[in-house]
Amino acid sequence: MLNNLADFAKKASMAQDRRQFLVRAGCLLFTVGGARLWLTPAEARSRGADLQVLDAAQTRTLEAFGEILVPGAAEAGLAHFVDSQLAADPNDCLLVTRYFNIEPPYLPFYAGTLAGLESLSAERHQRAFAALGEAEAVALVRELGAGTPRGWSGPPAELGYLVIRSDAVDVVYGTVEGFRRLGVPYMPHILPPRPW
Amino acid sequence: MARDHAQVVIVGAGAAGSVFAAVLAEAGRDVRVLETGPVRRLEDFYSSQLWARRLKWAVPHVAETTRDPVWFNLNAGRGYGGAAAHHFAVWPRMHADDFKLRSTFGKGLDWPLDYADLQPWYDRVQDDVGIAGDAAAEVWRPPGAPYPLPPVPRFAQGEVLAKGFTASGLRVAPIPVAVLTRPYKGRPPCIWDGWCEAGCPTGALANPLATYLPRATAAGARLQPGCHVTRVLTDAGGRRATGVEYVDDKGSRRELGADVVVLAAFGVENVRILLNSAGERHPAGLANSSGTVGRYLTCHPSVFTFGLFDADLQNYMGLSGGQIISHEHWAKTGREGAFGSRQYEAAMALKPNDLLGIAMSRADLFHRDLERFMQRAARGLGQMVAVCEDMPLAENRIELDERRDAHGLRLARIHYRTSPDGLGLWREAVTEGERIMKAAGATEVWHGPKVAQHLMGGTIMGKDPAASVTDGYGRAHDVENLFIGGGGLFPTSSAVNSTYTIHALALRAASRLRDDQAALRTR
Ligand SMILES: Cc1cc2nc3c(=O)[nH]c(=O)nc-3n(C[C@H](O)[C@H](O)[C@H](O)COP(=O)(O)OP(=O)(O)OC[C@H]3O[C@@H](n4cnc5c(N)ncnc54)[C@H](O)[C@@H]3O)c2cc1C
Ligand code: SF4
Repeated sequence: MLNNLADFAKKASMAQDRRQFLVRAGCLLFTVGGARLWLTPAEARSRGADLQVLDAAQTRTLEAFGEILVPGAAEAGLAHFVDSQLAADPNDCLLVTRYFNIEPPYLPFYAGTLAGLESLSAERHQRAFAALGEAEAVALVRELGAGTPRGWSGPPAELGYLVIRSDAVDVVYGTVEGFRRLGVPYMPHILPPRPW
Repeated sequence: MARDHAQVVIVGAGAAGSVFAAVLAEAGRDVRVLETGPVRRLEDFYSSQLWARRLKWAVPHVAETTRDPVWFNLNAGRGYGGAAAHHFAVWPRMHADDFKLRSTFGKGLDWPLDYADLQPWYDRVQDDVGIAGDAAAEVWRPPGAPYPLPPVPRFAQGEVLAKGFTASGLRVAPIPVAVLTRPYKGRPPCIWDGWCEAGCPTGALANPLATYLPRATAAGARLQPGCHVTRVLTDAGGRRATGVEYVDDKGSRRELGADVVVLAAFGVENVRILLNSAGERHPAGLANSSGTVGRYLTCHPSVFTFGLFDADLQNYMGLSGGQIISHEHWAKTGREGAFGSRQYEAAMALKPNDLLGIAMSRADLFHRDLERFMQRAARGLGQMVAVCEDMPLAENRIELDERRDAHGLRLARIHYRTSPDGLGLWREAVTEGERIMKAAGATEVWHGPKVAQHLMGGTIMGKDPAASVTDGYGRAHDVENLFIGGGGLFPTSSAVNSTYTIHALALRAASRLRDDQAALRTR
C-alpha cells in the first residue's frame, strides 16, 4: 500500500495542473513601489502594497465595514486578502463566495455591497461609512445582517453581510495567528502558506 | 485517424469512480478516468479552512430555483478524490428496512436489492479501507463483519454530550468512521487534530487518494485531469454507448471510444450528462425512456444544534465528523407526519472559521459581541447534528437550465422542496437536539437553519425499467454498457451518510462488470 501511495503521488505530480498559482511558501504576490514582493496580506497592508482590483474608496469602505464586523480585520489585511483573491483565477480563489452560488468574477458582488453600504450611510447620516461613529456604524451593520434595510440597493444585503463577515473572520481567526488569539492549538499537518 | 479508445472509460475520479477504476484496472482492463478538475495529491491538503475552498467548484453550474437550497457547491467537490477528498468519513451502514420502504410501509420506493445483497460488499469495503467502530455498542447495527479497527477515542466534548444523550434516554456509540485508529495496510493512524474538512493529507482517512485511486494507478489506470465530459455517445440504435465526448485541458473537443462507460461524476452532473446526451433515438436524454432521469432527488434535511459550556470541551480535538452517534430514533413509524429515520452525530472537532466553523454558528453576532463569543466558544462550544430521512418525490428533480456553460452545454437546474415527512423529522430534531444539549449541561442552547447534506437520487435504480434508470448494479436499463455510480442511484435516502453505501454499490457493480465478458466485449 505504501508503495502504491508513493507511486500515485509521483504520477500525480508528473501530470501537474498547468495553471500557475500565485502563492509561494507562505505569501501572496503583491506590488510595492513597482517591485513584486511575496508578502502576507497584513505585511502588504502595512507596507502600502498596491491593490489590483479594489479602488481606494472601496478599500476604505471594506476595511471600515470589516472592522465593525470583526475588530482587528483591517490590520489583519482584510482588504489585501479580498483584493488578491478577487484577482486570482476563480478555481484558485480562497473566498467563501464559492459556497454561495455567486457567479465569478466576484468583484461586482463586493463592489455592489460596498456601494450599497455607502449609499445607506449617506442617506441616513450624510457621511461616508468610514466616518461614522462606532454606534452609528454598528446600528447600520445590524440592519444589513437582519435583512434588506429600507432603501437598500445592491446584492442581497444579508448575503453581503455574511460574506464579508466571513472574510473578516477568516483573516482574524482562521489563521495560525488567529488560533493563537483564541488560545487554541493550530496543530497543522501541513502548515498553510502564511498567514492562512 | 483511429479514434482514441479504452476498454473502460470512467467519468469522475471521486468516490465511486475510484472504486470502479481500481477493480477493473486490477483485472487487467484498459481503464481511462476522465476528471474535470485538477490533479490533487495528499500533500496538497493544507491544514486550513481557507485553502480547503479550492477543493470546491468555483463556477456555480447548478441553478437552484426553489425555496429549499440543496447547497450543491458545499456538498460537491472537484478534482481527484471529488467531494470524498475532503469528506468526513462518517460511514454507518444503511439498515435492512431502508431497502424496502414501499413494500414494507407503503411509502417511498423499493430498492431492487436487499440489505443481504449488499452486506458482503459492505464487509469487503470495510476490509479494504479500514473502519473504526464498536459493533456491540451500536445495538442498532445491521449484521456484518466486526469492525477491523477499535473505535475512535472520546475527548471532553464527546464525554459531555454523551451524558446529555444518556440523560435524555438515548443510547450512543462511538461513531463508525473510515478513519484509522491503528496503522492499517501501510497507512498511518489518525492524530485527532480535526483537519479532515481540509482533506486529510496523511492517508489516515479513507479518501480516494489514500485508498482506491493509488490501487487504480498502480494497476495501470490512466487518469486524465482537466477533461470535462459533456456527452455519452451511442451507436445508431441508441442501445449501446460507444464512448464519450469531452473538452480537454486545452479546451479542445475530443472523443474517447469505450467498450463500457461508467458515469461517476456526482449525482447532479451524471444527470446533466445524460440529459445533454439527447439524440434522435433518445430525445428526452440518454437512458431516459422511463422519464425518471433527474427525478426523485433527495438529501438529508439536517440541523446543527449548539451548546455553550463553561467547561473546556477540547472541542478542537477529534474528527470533523464527530465522536459519537445514535440511531435510537431509527424506527420509521410511530410519529405523526414524520415517517422515516433519524441519526445523530455529535462532538465534532471545530475550527473558528468557515461555514461549519464556530463564528458561523452565531452569524447574527458581530463586533464586540462576536469577539466575546469567540473567546468563550473557542473551547466551550459543543455541537451535534441530526440527519433526517427524506422521502423521494418525483417532483424533486434535476433538469437542464436555459443557461449554458463555457462549452455551450446547458447547465443543471434543481427544483427541490424538503418532503413533508423530512420536514416533520427535522422539526422534531430541533426540539430534541436542544433538549439533549441542555441535559448535557449547556448554559446556552440554539440551533442552525435547515441544511441539506448528501445529495441522492436523480438516476435511481429499480426493478422496473419503466420507473427507474438503472438495475441493481447501476447498469442503465436502456443502454447495456452504461453504468452509473454514486448516490444518484439511491431510490431512498435512509438517514445515514451515503458514501459507505456508494462504495459498496460500486464495488459490487465493478466486480460484476469485471466478471461479465459480454459487457466488456471488444469492438
Ligand atoms: C464537507 C463534506 C463532508 C462530507 N462528509 C461525509 C461523511 O462524513 N460521510 C459520508 O458518507 N459522506 C460525506 N460527504 C459526502 C461524500 O463526499 C459524497 O457522498 C461522495 O463523495 C459522492 O461520491 P461520488 O463518487 O458520487 O462523487 P464525488 O466523490 O464528488 O466524485 C465525482 C467526481 O466527478 C468529477 N466530475 C464532475 N463532473 C464531471 C465531468 N463532467 N467530467 C469529468 N469529471 C467530472 C468531479 O470533479 C469529482 O471529482 C461529505 C461531503 C462533503 C463535501
Ligand atoms: S483528524 Fe485524523 S483523519 Fe482528520 S485530518 Fe487529522 S489525521 Fe486526518
